[in-house]
Amino acid sequence: MTISQGNLGLAYRSLKAAKGRSFLTMLGIIIGVAAVVLVVCIGQGIKDQISGQLGRYGKSTLTIQPTSSSGSAGVFTGLSGTSSNLLSENDLRVVQKTKGIATAVPVSTSSGSMRGDHTVNSPFIVATTAEFTDVINQSIQYGGFFDPDIDSKTVVLGANIAHKLFNDNSPLGQTLTWRDQHFVVAGVFNTFSAPPFSLEANFNNAVFVPYSTAQDLSGSVLGMYQILAKAKPDADQRQTTDAVQAALTASHGGSRDVAVLRADETDAGSNKTIHLLTVLVAGAAIVALVVGGVGIMDVMLVSVTERMHEIGLRKAIGATNRQIMRQFMAEAFVLSATGAIIGVAVSCAVVGLMRVYTSLQPVLVWQVLVVAPVVAIAVGLFFGSMPALKAARKDPIEALRHE
Amino acid sequence: MPLIELKDVSKLYGFGDATNVALDEVSLTIEPGECIAVMGPSGSGKSTLMNVIGLLDHPTLGDYHLNGKKVSRLRANQRAKLRRDEIGFIFQSFNLLPRLTAMDNVSLPLLYKGVSVGKRMKKAWDMLERVGLGDRAYYYPRQLSGGQTQSVAIARALVNDPQLIIADEPTGNLDSGSSRLVMELLSEIHKTGNTVIFVTHNPELTRYATRVVYMQDGTVKYDERTKLGEVGRYARSVMYAIPETTEEDDLAGVSAIMGVLHKRDATAVEPTKPKTKSKKAAKSKAKRRTNAAARKGSAK
Repeated sequence: MTISQGNLGLAYRSLKAAKGRSFLTMLGIIIGVAAVVLVVCIGQGIKDQISGQLGRYGKSTLTIQPTSSSGSAGVFTGLSGTSSNLLSENDLRVVQKTKGIATAVPVSTSSGSMRGDHTVNSPFIVATTAEFTDVINQSIQYGGFFDPDIDSKTVVLGANIAHKLFNDNSPLGQTLTWRDQHFVVAGVFNTFSAPPFSLEANFNNAVFVPYSTAQDLSGSVLGMYQILAKAKPDADQRQTTDAVQAALTASHGGSRDVAVLRADETDAGSNKTIHLLTVLVAGAAIVALVVGGVGIMDVMLVSVTERMHEIGLRKAIGATNRQIMRQFMAEAFVLSATGAIIGVAVSCAVVGLMRVYTSLQPVLVWQVLVVAPVVAIAVGLFFGSMPALKAARKDPIEALRHE
Repeated sequence: MPLIELKDVSKLYGFGDATNVALDEVSLTIEPGECIAVMGPSGSGKSTLMNVIGLLDHPTLGDYHLNGKKVSRLRANQRAKLRRDEIGFIFQSFNLLPRLTAMDNVSLPLLYKGVSVGKRMKKAWDMLERVGLGDRAYYYPRQLSGGQTQSVAIARALVNDPQLIIADEPTGNLDSGSSRLVMELLSEIHKTGNTVIFVTHNPELTRYATRVVYMQDGTVKYDERTKLGEVGRYARSVMYAIPETTEEDDLAGVSAIMGVLHKRDATAVEPTKPKTKSKKAAKSKAKRRTNAAARKGSAK
């Protein structure tokens, strides 16, 4: 039964009659919509993961790290400390004594190969103190954290490095050799959530050794590239941050060469970058969408020329300009709407696949799922209106002569 | 009040030296209820006249009153509405939309009028029944024979109850059986009170007409009232001129054409000339020669 001769039905049928061409036209819209949706979803996913980093250090955790110039607490300060520009034990003590700080732990790095069942030549070695687990917000999968007061020759492993050193064997209680000394593995961390594109150190690859032991073995003062401090639960974050900053500035003789960052501050910094990137790439994707619209215009123009006779006939039996216009607008609408729906479906599928198969964890943002198709349809209608107008304004007799 | 009143209507194509006169100051008055056969050689302006009367084309000069209303300078949309409501068009090449069923094709003018789906279906069905194709409502044009296709086109022309039916060579693409079917349908429509204008090359078909208009060089050369069932006198002269060419004449080529022209000029009765200005002799003769050749071609 095909009597429902609405414009949309007609449009659908005439587009179906030229399947291949219709699909190619829609391809522009499909790619445009899918690109916009994917970029925004991936961007949002990265932002969410970085926000998830709050959980890694804990909300009340302050990150103290050296800067070359004051106030440039940017995104790329994660590992920027050089040997000439590191924090000292004195700094650690200053921080620990500041009002409102519950604990502060050093984060230093050391070098040398580690030998377990397998040898890892230059692992990421983090030297810290026993209070580390109080500051960071991460549970231990097996065993416990080391306590140098009981045994100075113990280490704790990140999930990845544990696998590298001991394969599938349980690393707990195994012996590691580092700088000709034997260490016992006291525990293994659960996997740290490590956001992609983050310049923060990935603790999953880290071997945690006691700070004092590392200092003894290296035979010199071990610089700290970061101090992690935890504020007291009742302390005001901002005040505490300012207090730490003031104390450190004072102990450094008035030069502000240390940055004190709140957890949400580091977060904000990287979010800004990701946001900017998302906007830029989404902009490029919108250009793709507009190009898709030009494709619609192109195909519609061909369609109008091809169906000139039909237009003439419809006019001969009484179709007004507006009715012809509407018919072709309906076609543009069906083209762009179908393309938009397919585009959204494709991007949803890709988001799903990415979540399963890659470390990116894109998130479906419903706003973009609505806005992208609406923009696509608007673009399609805009570019479809020109050919539709051309069709509508044809002189009936001229159009009829066209075969 | 006449249904159609053309006053000195001209249609020119092109500009300057390349100007082509399709209609040359045609004046024609048609009363409601007439059935008019328009005859004439190719290029004589029949189709242009149909297009002007059917509001598909503007006259370049002159006035056209339809139902007493001046329509020669109407805007496109008003013309479209008049075409939809007052005029039914039937084409030589049927002109159905190939992707629509017979039913949908017939209901198309109703769609443009804004009639609801249910009423559209009922009306389209009634029309198809009337032309004897009630059982073919859901066939596509490609599944129908030529006669059936033209019947569907007639149903479409009738569906909005127009006063005027214009058929531009409705039987041009049909065999004689189908031609008769289509002409019977048209004469039936005429009997129910519609005004019918049809173009034909077949003098036999003037039997269905109450009036025969013969056109040449963009003017009405001869205008005659006939009785239903009778071939028009002028049409008859054309009809009997053609078979006089034989196989040998064909082989003889140009001289044969000249011969035919001589014979026809000798036998053709030319009663009261209509009031159009006489053409320049040379031009009209040249035209006639080509016309005769064309007619000979179609007779074969």
